[in-house]
Amino acid sequence: MSRLVLDRLGRMYGRAAAVADVSLEIDDGELLVLLGPSGCGKTTTLRMVAGFVAASSGDIRLDGSSILALPPYRRDMGLVFQSYALFPHLSVARNVAFGLEMRGMRGPALAARVAEMLRLARLEPFAERLPRQLSGGQQQRVALARALAIRPRVLLLDEPLSNLDAALRGEVGRDIRLLQRESGLTTIMVTHDQDEAMAMADRLVVMRDGRVQQVGTQQDLYERPATPFVAGFIGRSTMLPGTRAEGGVFIADGAALRLAGRYGGNGAGTLALRPERLSLAAADAAGPGSVAGSVELASYLGAVREHVVRIGPTLRIVVRDSTAQGGGLLSAGTRVTVRWDQGAERLFDAADAPQPSLNPEPTDPRMTADD
Amino acid sequence: MPTDTALPEPFARLQRGLVATLVIIGAAIIGVPLLLTLYLSVFDESIIVFPPHGYTLHWYGRILPEFGGALRTSLETALAAVAISLLAGVPAGIGLARHRFRGRGTAAMLLLAPLTVPGIAIGLGIYVFAVMIEERTGTALSGSVGLMVAAHVLITLPWVVRLCLAALANHDPAAEEAAASLGAPPWRVIWRVTLPAMRGGIIAGALFAFIVSFENLEMTLFLTAPGVTTLPISVLQYLQYHIDPLVAAVAVVQVALVGGALLLLDRLVPVARVAA
Amino acid sequence: MAAAALLSPALFVVLLMLGAPLALLLRFSLDRYDPTELMIETLTGANYLRFFADPFYVGVLRTTLGVAVAATALCLLFGLPIAYRLARMTSRWKTACMLAIVLPLFVGSTVRMVGWLILFAHGGMIDGALRRLTGGGLELMYTPFAVISGIVSINLPFVILTLQSTIETIDPRLEEAAESLGAPPGRGFWRVVWPLTLPGTATAGILCFILAMNAYATPYLLGGPRFQMMAPLLYWEFSTNNNWPFAAALGLILMATTLILTACSSLLIPRRYRVA
Repeated sequence: MSRLVLDRLGRMYGRAAAVADVSLEIDDGELLVLLGPSGCGKTTTLRMVAGFVAASSGDIRLDGSSILALPPYRRDMGLVFQSYALFPHLSVARNVAFGLEMRGMRGPALAARVAEMLRLARLEPFAERLPRQLSGGQQQRVALARALAIRPRVLLLDEPLSNLDAALRGEVGRDIRLLQRESGLTTIMVTHDQDEAMAMADRLVVMRDGRVQQVGTQQDLYERPATPFVAGFIGRSTMLPGTRAEGGVFIADGAALRLAGRYGGNGAGTLALRPERLSLAAADAAGPGSVAGSVELASYLGAVREHVVRIGPTLRIVVRDSTAQGGGLLSAGTRVTVRWDQGAERLFDAADAPQPSLNPEPTDPRMTADD
Repeated sequence: MPTDTALPEPFARLQRGLVATLVIIGAAIIGVPLLLTLYLSVFDESIIVFPPHGYTLHWYGRILPEFGGALRTSLETALAAVAISLLAGVPAGIGLARHRFRGRGTAAMLLLAPLTVPGIAIGLGIYVFAVMIEERTGTALSGSVGLMVAAHVLITLPWVVRLCLAALANHDPAAEEAAASLGAPPWRVIWRVTLPAMRGGIIAGALFAFIVSFENLEMTLFLTAPGVTTLPISVLQYLQYHIDPLVAAVAVVQVALVGGALLLLDRLVPVARVAA
Repeated sequence: MAAAALLSPALFVVLLMLGAPLALLLRFSLDRYDPTELMIETLTGANYLRFFADPFYVGVLRTTLGVAVAATALCLLFGLPIAYRLARMTSRWKTACMLAIVLPLFVGSTVRMVGWLILFAHGGMIDGALRRLTGGGLELMYTPFAVISGIVSINLPFVILTLQSTIETIDPRLEEAAESLGAPPGRGFWRVVWPLTLPGTATAGILCFILAMNAYATPYLLGGPRFQMMAPLLYWEFSTNNNWPFAAALGLILMATTLILTACSSLLIPRRYRVA
């Protein structure tokens, strides 16, 4: 049983805060992903948990007791590095055995445990190879086997897939997820790649400038982003800065967008629209959730098609919809109306706080998608 | 899992103490002689007696009359050797790093060989060689600055080649291929892409070449003549007869000048990288 | 061929200034020395026989080897912790520390010996201080201790720079990986960092060994007539006795010993530790 709590954790470098006021609770067996662009503090947070960076403030508790005073070698964290950090002079088997040897294990017990780990990671044929004789995916599995061999209390993964080519990523990601779930390990993973994060996480934490932007499940973050940053980082959004006018209209770059939901308040704000929740309709099909424009660029991408619709002198909206209904591409210059419903839009006020909708939330926004 | 096989605390502390001691002794072995030299250079004594009767700066005034000629020869030799070894060594570095040909290993070994041969043996050999040419042709070689420069090029060249090779090893040849595909003829590729990429290596090579030439003693011993002698050798000859603060003053001036030059250079290329 | 054009000037220098002199040295070492006619052309192994038959000369070679091995061991002992600290330093002090290591290299071995002379000489700092404190003096001049200290202080900067550049290439994450797997810092160092520094340690050791075998100024000034090493002996045979054939033989023996031992030591490093 390992329950990890970060309590108002902070790290200062001089006067700059790399991590500020991060509070998280990771349940036993949960895989939590820290997601954010480089420099957002996610790696610093992970390294504080591992013990390589001292916390400037706050506390880290594992099963109720603080581990801040423990040096890294007493923390029992299984750490997988982005670069894998395999010992280049030791064979695969010796790499996996390293942590066990440090714990005084030797003889048949050691050999048995190493063999078990090699089998789990499908590395048996490579036991006597040196790391540099392995492919990237195999090296990754050695790093994972080495970290899991010590039966860590918490597994820490630092960008575990970023050094693999795209074709391998999905497969290795699934491997990691399965191993993690089988062993029931409490896990923190750090990544900048939202697809990777969405595919692997139980819950996600979006970070920016050292602070937590939002914590939640994939669906929470996608459907109810707390800030324009999250709306842009999780899935894709077209961001339209502008002002709210009377009558449910949002003015951006001279274009008038009719909002689908009803909101209180006035003034400057940002409207975020999900391309895959928008649709194209005839030029005269106005109504709530619509804006007029003309097609500028159209691409057929296989499963989906994408239209870039120009709605103002410098403003464009991306509309992406399925090709399953057999629609072709509209030619450039065609006048259209872009339509959407409430689930596609998210309105933030000037302080980047989401504007609560006054409408009831639709049960499943996809069901009401415009044709 | 408890780390019961970790070093017990007192032992770990002992190990840390031992490492710190080694660092301090090592630093002292390098630094103490230099500091003592600085101290000695202001003694008002002509033999070394502790404590001295007084302190003076007059030794500094005697440096140029005593060692001026040798200093000049040393500087001339070192600068000429650096220039020639750059002219020969930089192309050699490019050739070794960017071309694959039969005998490449042998060529590399030959170019680095002067580093592994004792200087005292090379010096004797070069002297004997020069005397033999003199006997055959009648041209005066031994004791000339020209011979000294030629000999110094031999020991400075490997450093230039080595550092240029290292600089190119970390540089992707794709940039050169890109330049060639954009229409640059080979010599312009070298001038516009390869040489700028080697800048750090060339500066480091020149620096090391200068050091190696300027402070060489073993080989140069055989190549000096009255009036043509380098600073290290004339200091050695001076020390043979008198250990007095004059030599210390020479050392101090050298440290000050070199330190200043290095600080300037550090702005161009970080010394911390160059030395690697 | 482009490679030939790039390489030939450098290769020409090496062949002319190293190849020819060494070949000539080999030829001269087989000649016979005559006190009146100096050198008689012949083919004899007498010079080599004389060296190995005379306990004095063999003793000098043994002393030289002993000093070189001791100095190399000490340089590695002091150099490794210093190089490690330097390599892992990230602050702005790094440049200052690197400068402090590089600076002595420019000053030259002769001039740096002055500092040791002050310390060790009769009436020097140690002797003088002890005389005043205890009544009895301590003369360290002309002892193995003095010579080894001198050589270590001259070679240590070279060793530190070589080791530091090797350690810089070792990913610090490897140490973190070891630590996260339960290895306290000391243990992680010996299990992970040390094996990976072996190639650099070998390079540094060989460099230091060659420099020590070849040392002239240090044994000449700190060892004096009582403590003979190969390089001063060779120069003495050349300049005072005019015995060129024997000096040539000494040079070749010194060279052969150095080369054989360096070749042996590089075989000691297991292949897998050579950094890919």
